[in-house]
Amino acid sequence: MVSVKTKNVVAKSSGPKNHFKKYWPYYVMMLPGIIYLIMFKYVPMMGSVIAFKDYSAYKGIWESAWCGLENFKKLFMYPDFYKILRNTIVLGLLKTVLTFPIPVILALMLNELRNAKVKKGIQTIICIPYFVSWVVVGGLVFDIFGVGGLFNNVREFFGMDTLLVMQKEIWFRPIYVLSTIWKESGWGTVVYLATISSIDPSLYESAAIDGASRFQKMRYITFPLLIPTVLTLFLLNIGSFLTLGFDQVYNLYTPMTYAVADIFDTYVFRVGIQQAQYSFATAVGLFQSVVGLIMVVTFNKIANKVSEDGGLW
Amino acid sequence: MKVRTKTSHVRESAKDRIFEIVVTVVLILFAVITTIPLISELAVSLSSKTASQMNLINLLPVEFTLDSWKYLLGKGGIWTPFLISVLSTILGVIIALLLNVLMAYPLSKIEFKASKYIMLFVVFTMVFAAPKVPYFLTLRSYGLYNSYWVLIFPHIITAYNLIIVRTFFKQFPKELEEAAMIDGCGKFRILFQIVLPASKAVLATVGLFYGVTMWNQYEHPMMFIQKMDLFPLQMKIRSIVDGGSELQAITMAQTANYTPATLSAVAVVFAILPILIGYPWIQKYFAKGAMLGSVKG
Repeated sequence: MVSVKTKNVVAKSSGPKNHFKKYWPYYVMMLPGIIYLIMFKYVPMMGSVIAFKDYSAYKGIWESAWCGLENFKKLFMYPDFYKILRNTIVLGLLKTVLTFPIPVILALMLNELRNAKVKKGIQTIICIPYFVSWVVVGGLVFDIFGVGGLFNNVREFFGMDTLLVMQKEIWFRPIYVLSTIWKESGWGTVVYLATISSIDPSLYESAAIDGASRFQKMRYITFPLLIPTVLTLFLLNIGSFLTLGFDQVYNLYTPMTYAVADIFDTYVFRVGIQQAQYSFATAVGLFQSVVGLIMVVTFNKIANKVSEDGGLW
Repeated sequence: MKVRTKTSHVRESAKDRIFEIVVTVVLILFAVITTIPLISELAVSLSSKTASQMNLINLLPVEFTLDSWKYLLGKGGIWTPFLISVLSTILGVIIALLLNVLMAYPLSKIEFKASKYIMLFVVFTMVFAAPKVPYFLTLRSYGLYNSYWVLIFPHIITAYNLIIVRTFFKQFPKELEEAAMIDGCGKFRILFQIVLPASKAVLATVGLFYGVTMWNQYEHPMMFIQKMDLFPLQMKIRSIVDGGSELQAITMAQTANYTPATLSAVAVVFAILPILIGYPWIQKYFAKGAMLGSVKG
């Protein structure tokens, strides 16, 4: 028994030795990156334990006393939690259903433009908003929909009274969707246009011989060949929809619209970081991260099944 | 054969022409709608106090004046935040590229068996995000609270970008590296003298990804920076857009030919300008980057 074990160790040790002799520069190269990921990703992850603790500022993350599932019990009894969950789901669904198809349609149409200069020009313009920060988009939205902004001036022109769009709950979701479309749909065309450009031109040629119109070519050749890409991106989108992003909502909502606008990211920021309810907000955040993880992994798997190179990994 | 194509082309041309006109019109409309908010904002930034107070401005400046711009670029205190953003972005991109290249290169080597496990270690950071509060507490314990470094460090390695660099290195011709190895080059020299000089496109792409993230970031400064004199540009813009009491008081003055609205418009346009100036490069490299970045392959 003992001899077998030693033998094994000897046989293995010659492996790692050679391995390190040959590859030590690779380990040196990766060292800064690995230390970085541990410090900035993994240590904070492990800090999630405070969701099961009663965090005390004096004792810090690791020394605070355990309190079991206390924070989670509180969380599931708290009506605000269901409100945030609902808001996150509703906004995520609206984003996926209403804004997702637009880049697809835009790409199909851009592909039909024969004049390369017009095509390039339009593409350039509609991509610009993607690179503008949400702070700036928020500023634009507030200025345009505020009193004296373009929107209310147009309303006044038609004899309607001023509408405080940004302060009304019912308008938050439309604003959220519209701002997403404005900022992201132009950029979204890039991936689709690349897929379209890889379609075999002989397909179009033979369709032309059969007398297909340009609309028919788009409908029966380009669109079906685009479907796998569309589907993959769609699945990946759903998978990550719990992480809507802090910047957009934070720069578009007002205290008057919290009831419909507050999502996990903004709620955790206000309650956890600004009001310092550390343990409770960590429980909320941990719920989001774990459900998010399950969803991303599940939908990535589905994406891999649907098309061969579909998933992110 | 040739004749047939020609006739079918003639037969369909009217229908096809209408189709193309409709498509063109819709797209141009979309592009115009995209630009309207920017044009309106520019108009407000170039208009007078009275015009702004009487809600007269739509798409063209009313009572054209540069007073709002003069105020914001003069006494508005926007240059310090601007410089903070410029410097932190430049330094951040340099650090990010260095660390990403160093990490991605070994990960691109299939014969280097450990790369598989380290890849898992990287990908996991992409699917599981640390909850915000422990993240905040941890980074605060590193001394990043009210520190310029918080504008840089959180964004140094993103799994997605790292994977783009790795994918690029994977496609690098092996023969070149092997020839260098036979000449006695070490792995560091191969990376820095052979591989990197031929990787400008991917460096530009990923550098821009990191750059835009750092330039546009709001969440991190919002969490970590409380001191006004450490504000990066986006925080400053937001405070101007919010138009606090201080701003209200300044615009109340008789001599002031601006309102919170015109100053907010100037701030927004000011923040968009650098993006527009860098846009030709951004567009060129981003399109390439958007195509890369699958973990597999």
